[in-house]
Amino acid sequence: MKATTDSVAPKTAAEAGEILARCDRAGEKVSIAGGATLCGMGFPPERCDITLSTKRLSGVVANEQADLTVAVRAGTPIQTLTVLLSTQGQFIPFDAPRPQYATVGGTLAAGWLGPRRHLYGRLRDYLIGSTIVLADGTIARAGGMVVKNVSGYDMSRLYVGSFGTLGIIVQANFKTVPLPKRARLFLARLPERTRARACTQLESLPMRLAAAFWIDGFHKAIDGDDGPEGRVAVLLEGSATLLERATRELRSALGRAGVPETRVLDAGARESFQRVVDAYVARLGERSVTYRIASLPQTCEPNALRAGELARRFELRAETIVDVLNGDIIVRVSDLDARGLGAKIEAFDDALHEIEPRAQVIASDHPNRIYLRVWGESPPAIAQMQALKARFDPNRTLNPGRFVGGI
Amino acid sequence: MLCERLIAALGSDAVKTEPEDLAVYSFDAYTDGGRPAAVVLPKSTQEVSAIVKIARDCGEPIIARGAGTGLCGGAVPMAGGVIVSLMRMNRILELDLRNRRVRVQPGLMNLELSRQVAPDGLFYAPDPSSQQISTIGGNIATNAGGPHCLSYGTTVNHVLGLEVVDDAGEVFATSIEDAGYDLTAALVGSEGTLGLVTSAWLQLLALPEAVRVWVAAFDGMDAAAEAVSAIIAAGIVPTALEMMDAVIVRAVEAAFHAGYPTDAAALLLVESAGFEEDVAASEAAIHAIVKQHGANYWKSARTLAERNALWAGRKGAAGATGRIAPNYYTQDVCVPRSKLPQALRAVEAAARTNQITVGNVFHAGDGNLHPLLMYDKSDARQVAAVVETGNVILQSAIDLGGTISGEHGIGWEKREAMTRVYSTADLATMGRVRDVFDPARMLNPEKIFPSGARCPEVAPP
Repeated sequence: MKATTDSVAPKTAAEAGEILARCDRAGEKVSIAGGATLCGMGFPPERCDITLSTKRLSGVVANEQADLTVAVRAGTPIQTLTVLLSTQGQFIPFDAPRPQYATVGGTLAAGWLGPRRHLYGRLRDYLIGSTIVLADGTIARAGGMVVKNVSGYDMSRLYVGSFGTLGIIVQANFKTVPLPKRARLFLARLPERTRARACTQLESLPMRLAAAFWIDGFHKAIDGDDGPEGRVAVLLEGSATLLERATRELRSALGRAGVPETRVLDAGARESFQRVVDAYVARLGERSVTYRIASLPQTCEPNALRAGELARRFELRAETIVDVLNGDIIVRVSDLDARGLGAKIEAFDDALHEIEPRAQVIASDHPNRIYLRVWGESPPAIAQMQALKARFDPNRTLNPGRFVGGI
Repeated sequence: MLCERLIAALGSDAVKTEPEDLAVYSFDAYTDGGRPAAVVLPKSTQEVSAIVKIARDCGEPIIARGAGTGLCGGAVPMAGGVIVSLMRMNRILELDLRNRRVRVQPGLMNLELSRQVAPDGLFYAPDPSSQQISTIGGNIATNAGGPHCLSYGTTVNHVLGLEVVDDAGEVFATSIEDAGYDLTAALVGSEGTLGLVTSAWLQLLALPEAVRVWVAAFDGMDAAAEAVSAIIAAGIVPTALEMMDAVIVRAVEAAFHAGYPTDAAALLLVESAGFEEDVAASEAAIHAIVKQHGANYWKSARTLAERNALWAGRKGAAGATGRIAPNYYTQDVCVPRSKLPQALRAVEAAARTNQITVGNVFHAGDGNLHPLLMYDKSDARQVAAVVETGNVILQSAIDLGGTISGEHGIGWEKREAMTRVYSTADLATMGRVRDVFDPARMLNPEKIFPSGARCPEVAPP
């Protein structure tokens, strides 16, 4: 990478198109920047001549409150949109870290998978339309402002999780859903002996929980208890009557699992939940690497323990957030300093991928990050993906090398 | 040569070449296409792969086909080609109850899947009205919806991964858990133009503890449509919110005795599912809104039998129109939900102008209209009038900010209309995806993409 790169912030899709077309012809490589909250996912681009920021491509394009649809430009911060929607009793489950900085476009491009998807579905399933600028400057729309649409290929969903390697998302149209009236967060210490039982109990509750985690470490991330034992955090959302019933059922389920006294947060429940989500990508300067391991609800508890043990074998500190409902395991490994981490992390990375081939790096500032298998094993359809990249961006103008398989 | 090779590879039992057999596979629920060169019924992924390789060698296009219930000519051959009927690949391959996932073959009937997992307290959410005959593979090809996708989403929300035979007969797999592009999402709804799905991992949902169905009747379509818009605007999303007009209500009552009030000018069928407390709260809120909008009848179905009767009427509505006219054509458009009253007025006006009887039965909560235009296909005037009416309705939906298909797909029928909602650049961008998966345009050719807007170049080598 060059020491300095030029930075541009187009105000319109047309301007973005002109910039890209010019770079594409000139062989200049373009990186795309939103709120820079998820730039620790994937590889850094192998070369960057121009950074294109979406910060001026911001704002609401259409707020169809009665239709439960909204269209925004890609640089709009998640929090801005969330606040707007909440004033009209609606929401979209972005569940993105640091929503005051994270942009709608960046969160979509990173294919962010939030903890509440178990209850509300994936972010991509809220996207009903999009506008994208391709590397050659083409501006293409897909979908529209209706909630059901089968007119040709679902291009919008294809762009979700494409890390800006197919084009730059400049507008996103969403359907929204009614905001649950209440939220309540449960916090409890989770002694190791109760973990497996607690996970099973949570999973078999008749109520659909909004989120459920057990957390080891990440003490700054959540209020309260920072003893050596882990904690369990459960978010409930719904009507007041539903919450009352869910509270009783949850209390007795955790009691059966031997979990000690629980603390209940009503005021600030969503804020505390947000702090857990923020912790997914929280870094300890250059001395940490955070992985996401996609597991299944059935196996996430033993798999998380196994990953933690492995880290300790390499004399690394391991902190974990296990999303019990989706089966996601977040493991942050760290050492006392960056040099200590650097000496061990590549061997740990190899060992981790032996047992968890699909483990992905989602946050790290350590310079050795580029030597890790940040995307995990190659997906079976990598050839088709590479061909898509070649057809959309034949000159590799956009975020070259950022994605899986050299894309 | 083609047929000999197919018979050699799959056995004569799996290959149909007699004219009367070919005729059966030349149409769907919308139209009659050309005659295929052969129809093949594979039993395995390997056989699908072999068929594609042979067809390609012989220069024949390949058209995947499920139950043939499509409503836009998506699975009919245009000229020659090999029909790959997936009806013999109809098994559940793996059932993972604890993680609520199932892997199925494409020929499995939609409703059969929910039946099989019901004893375990689970169901498969997408429920197109054709679910008693249509297949999972066909549902994936069209990203099928149904009444309950109002709250559960369409097929794409429920597909976790696919096994696909590509245009060269090679097998590849996708999963939404894989790193990389979401090829699963790109393949769902691609109407057989990007590959042939040979198995799919699907997500199952837990059956809700409480389900309630209500019927509200109105003395006008406008009032009912406004009630729908008001329910959505109030931030209530029931699991289903269906609407029927007087023509449909009377036809359904005559055919099924579903228990609808026969004097209703418009009827809403509303379902709410979830927890007892929430369902009870929904009932009160929805009842208040419909009353405000002039509902003159309200009925709550509490028993399973009552609920099933109300739903049977809705799902059998299209068939019931046989009492009105020998043929019907279903238009499928989707508009922003607040535009429902205008969209219905446009349907009425178009039908009146062209002297066509129209029955409306549709997914009102999604803004997804399904006017049924009734006619006699032996009468050329009526056929022309139906075509014109369908076309006017399509344009009015576009003018209201809507789209040309909510859930049935584009197929052959609406491919020319794609240019009315998408620019050349939009379509060419879709064409880039086609270039990657089917550069020679051998998979279900002449579907989705308009004939005039060919993407000029083929994928660079």
